[in-house]
Amino acid sequence: MDRGGSAVVRKKTFAEKMKSREAQQFLVIVTFLFAPLLLLIVFTYLPFMRMVQFSFYNMKYIGPKKFVGLANYVDVFHRTEIFRALLVSVYYMGGAVVQLALALFFATLMVFKVKGESVFKATLFFPYLICGIAVGFIFKFFYARGFVLDSLLQMFGMKLDNIPYWLQDQSINNIALAATSVWRYTGQNMIMFLGAMMSVDTDLYEAAALDGANNWHRFRYIILPSIKSIIVLNLILSISGSLSAFEPPYVITNGTMGTGTYFVIMNRLAHENQKVGLACAMAIVLLAIIILCTVAQKLFFAYVFDNGTDDESKAAVRKRKKAEQKRRAQKGAAV
Amino acid sequence: MLNNLAHTKDPFAKRDDMSGPYAVYYVLYESVSRKLVEDDPASSDWEASKGMINKGEIATMVLGSWAVEQCREAGATPEDVGYMPFPITEDGKRYASGDGNYSYAINNKATEDNQIAAMVYLKWLLEESTIFVDEGTIPALKSEPLPDSLSEFDGVEIISNNPAIEGEETLFDDVNNESEVGINNNDYPDCEILESALYGTKDLDTLMEEWNAKWSAAQESLGVDVLKY
Repeated sequence: MDRGGSAVVRKKTFAEKMKSREAQQFLVIVTFLFAPLLLLIVFTYLPFMRMVQFSFYNMKYIGPKKFVGLANYVDVFHRTEIFRALLVSVYYMGGAVVQLALALFFATLMVFKVKGESVFKATLFFPYLICGIAVGFIFKFFYARGFVLDSLLQMFGMKLDNIPYWLQDQSINNIALAATSVWRYTGQNMIMFLGAMMSVDTDLYEAAALDGANNWHRFRYIILPSIKSIIVLNLILSISGSLSAFEPPYVITNGTMGTGTYFVIMNRLAHENQKVGLACAMAIVLLAIIILCTVAQKLFFAYVFDNGTDDESKAAVRKRKKAEQKRRAQKGAAV
Repeated sequence: MLNNLAHTKDPFAKRDDMSGPYAVYYVLYESVSRKLVEDDPASSDWEASKGMINKGEIATMVLGSWAVEQCREAGATPEDVGYMPFPITEDGKRYASGDGNYSYAINNKATEDNQIAAMVYLKWLLEESTIFVDEGTIPALKSEPLPDSLSEFDGVEIISNNPAIEGEETLFDDVNNESEVGINNNDYPDCEILESALYGTKDLDTLMEEWNAKWSAAQESLGVDVLKY
């Protein structure tokens, strides 16, 4: 008997399921993901797992290993030089803030039509393309006594006796090294910000100009909010980058004279003192520190910059939601 | 020497006759703290320094015999560059350490003709060629005299490290690495001494005591027999 239009659907066999659109899509996705996933697992996750395993042993690269449990981690926290190295990273963090400011400044200058802007962009971006070791060597000679920087300053009238020892004077050698990092990465940050800034609607600038906004207002109220997420991303990357700074101190001073960062010490322990387990433990501790810093930063930005909807702040959203809930409860109680 | 060092108690301590590792590091420490070295060691440039010693701007450098010819060729006055043993005497006698450079080997899987050719070449190289004079190194044959560049070494006893004792081949490296003192490992211990002298943060005795403590701790943890010097 006909029951008003409903047809009986036969269950599909496996072969037919495979031929269907969704299955095909799924297969295509899996196939395309297979190669990159394989590379990721083999070259990133597997070695990482092994490193975690190594950190519980007392071992060299070859030879037998001895299980010591958490002894390596305890050692990491007891050594004073490791935390001194983390303090050195603070200089690089300061450099990262300067780098951000400079990149924002140059990007804002170049959002609008500037004569010869491609030349400026190219020269500012060029340092990022140079390999880190080469940058280290460039600055090794730049800072050497009586060489490039000193000659430049002498040309401007400073006497050689007044010029500090850039690499030796412990009050400024870290600043000098952090400056090489700033030189290297400002251009890349600037290009990233420029890309984000290009997406801002130009009508906004016109409207703002009509309302009497000058350049600073334009920057603060139009540009900054639009690229907020890129700036936050940049700050997070720069924290993890400054904690893992390695090339400038390693190439220029080999970590001597108080410029040794965390990675330099880790390298020394692993490769010269053959204490691989301890170095792995140091790496894991650094990872934990970076994760903590990232989470703290995200919370800080979410709280301070109030990521509510576009029209109202988070606090206002919360207030409105609470008022709605109260109203609904009252309605429910009344009914 | 390295075998003994692994077994010695407090090898870096100051000895009354000013011998041993302390004396060598004393020379380094004092040269830096008395401002006899360049004022910015961080900007030292090896290539430039060869020319400087040739011109007479640098008085002394501590290097191996391989550097003598290079420094001579780096400028216009090769006769000004000489080589003398390290200024330390033991009972009035001077010593210098001589060790092999890279070794020569013949592939035992090569054809017999090639092996013979290689042996003939090596024989010529070591017995008849002027390679040792050109490089300024100690000749391979005991019968050959020292080259001119090493003329200051007449009367100096040249000693080399004994091969490692059976079963203790890695002992020195183990103690060296475990203690993190790291002698002969890169320049790190020398830099430590340099920094202490340059910034005046530590005097040599304190630093050597710290090294001794680290060395003893490593000896203990590795279960090494410790003999007093």
